[in-house]
Amino acid sequence: MVTTTNEQIASQSFWRKVMTFVRNNVSILLIYGLIVLVGGATAIFSENFRQFSNLVSLFRQSIVLGLIAIGQSVVVLTGGMDMSVAMIARIVTLIVATIFNIHSSDTIILPMILLGVGVGASIGAFNGFLVTRTHANPFIITFGVASALRGIGLAISNVPIRGVPSGYLSIYDARVAGIPVNVYAMIIIWALAYIFTTRTRAGRALFAVGGSERVARLSAIRVNKTLILTYVISGIFAALAGLFLLARTGVGDPSAAEGMDFQSVVAVPLGGISLYGGKGSILGTLGGVLLLGLLSNVFNIVQIDVYYQQLLLGLIVLIAVAAYRSPRSL
Amino acid sequence: MNPIISKQNTVQKRFLEMRFSPRMIRWVDLAGQRAAPIGVLVVFLVAAIFAPAFYNPTNLKTVAIQMAVLGIVAVGQTLVLLVRSIDLSVGAVLALGAVIVVQTESGSSIFVSLIQAFAIAGAIGLANGLLITKRRVPPFVASFGMMWFIQGARLAYTKGQASGTVPDLLRAISIEQVGFIPAALLVFLLVNATVFFVIKYTRFGRWIYAVGGNPSAARYAGIKTDAVVIVAHVVCSVFALLGGLVLSGYIGYVDLRLGTDYNMNSIAASIIGGTTFTGGRGNLFGTAAGVLLLISLLNLVVVLGLPIHWQYAMQGLVLVSATALQGLRQYLLSR
Repeated sequence: MVTTTNEQIASQSFWRKVMTFVRNNVSILLIYGLIVLVGGATAIFSENFRQFSNLVSLFRQSIVLGLIAIGQSVVVLTGGMDMSVAMIARIVTLIVATIFNIHSSDTIILPMILLGVGVGASIGAFNGFLVTRTHANPFIITFGVASALRGIGLAISNVPIRGVPSGYLSIYDARVAGIPVNVYAMIIIWALAYIFTTRTRAGRALFAVGGSERVARLSAIRVNKTLILTYVISGIFAALAGLFLLARTGVGDPSAAEGMDFQSVVAVPLGGISLYGGKGSILGTLGGVLLLGLLSNVFNIVQIDVYYQQLLLGLIVLIAVAAYRSPRSL
Repeated sequence: MNPIISKQNTVQKRFLEMRFSPRMIRWVDLAGQRAAPIGVLVVFLVAAIFAPAFYNPTNLKTVAIQMAVLGIVAVGQTLVLLVRSIDLSVGAVLALGAVIVVQTESGSSIFVSLIQAFAIAGAIGLANGLLITKRRVPPFVASFGMMWFIQGARLAYTKGQASGTVPDLLRAISIEQVGFIPAALLVFLLVNATVFFVIKYTRFGRWIYAVGGNPSAARYAGIKTDAVVIVAHVVCSVFALLGGLVLSGYIGYVDLRLGTDYNMNSIAASIIGGTTFTGGRGNLFGTAAGVLLLISLLNLVVVLGLPIHWQYAMQGLVLVSATALQGLRQYLLSR
């Protein structure tokens, strides 16, 4: 048979399309494949893991890191990095908790949320201002901001702050159809973040700036405005994470969000976003966040000694960063 | 109307606005080089006026030892920064080494555990260097991941408990005095003198500046750039360990929080001393001045009786302003 039917051509182009899709999305497919693999293996061996409530709570535990990681992804896509996210979350938690402590009533919940977001946005704007005006290394300068914020946090309080009104706690507790409202909210937020980065002008500008600032500038993209915008977004999401943490713990915890800066920096390249900027998808970050949450859940189910957990996570992180390919720039 | 996209003439106007006068560029350059010594003078002056207790011999000894520890670590950090890299695992290496040496059982000799500790530190530096050069992982991510891993290893090793006693040898190199000078300061001076000689008068020293200044040019000139970066990282980890030994000899015990601030402080000291993130600029004198500035500032917080959170604020302030100044300097000089 020498003749090729239309169907064969169609099926060939179908396979070619599949192959192109796989090649373009290797990192995303890899991370979700890993999640399915680890999750599936645990589900076979563990009765408790299979429970629907465990899966829901696994997702709910990933919300804090998830919120922070969205902001971090946006910053990393432009080639920057924000190490102050954890401390922004903590500061917001402490400020809001302090005000609740003075005046504990359900009526000021909405103003407090707005205040928290405002605080996060202004610290983010300050970060963006520093990075764009001084051309300094974003990693280090936000690290410095984080240290200053840590000091301010200690100045506000070094004991847990009580007095969060009961209405506020419903952010964490309220359920619709058996699933917590915040899980729905999280799905919507991730969908919006995906649409923002792939379908809007400002979102595409992130990739352009991350690819090459010079080319972006010559393409009439306002590079500095884009950069400041990313740090503001990052600050806002960190603030949201702080507000959510407050609802989860019910007290203003002076050690809130410890280590979240590093975890968010890990989740981003784990999902395939290049730390040199310009490449990757925010859906990969979601995969990275879920994988980290899944791993800590699995560690507890397999009952790995708590002292070895950090060692294992560190090893996984090192393998992950060593495995991902980056441009040979020299 | 999208705010991100602007009209063409606005873009051109922004290009024109970005001109800086030569005088301002020179001023920023000079400020970048002289910030640390001037800062030290200011701090000493402020101390003389507001906190005479700062000049107490006991307090000066504390400052000297703390300066020595941070100084030893910062020398390694400066070398790494000079080759356009960064090492955020110094704090963890410092703590791990201290734990290994302090927790030697009575059976084995101190020298065996010292050799072990230095071998581990060298291996960590090697791993950092290989990740950065061969796998092209961004330096801060590679070394930050390494820090996470080392801290996990220490936690697994100690099970979270502080124990052990500090061997006499470590006390000898830190808290003992030669005349009125603490031994730690002598170790610091020795390290500085050695590294100063190496980077000033040997071929390897020129390579470090060449690789930091322009990696591709260095490669075309026949320098094995990857090897230089790896050696810098190994030396940095070894110095971090040495700093850890001096520190544990000074405070006399090892706890979990040991070494957490040294990542940031060693970077801050190097940067305010005139080292830039883009490599090739900086020297040990500036770093030493930066260390003295940072340590005396932190000490001043204690002497003045301010709450401890001022130390964090101070660290952050120094790091942010130093980074901002050096970033601007590098940007202006490289245009």
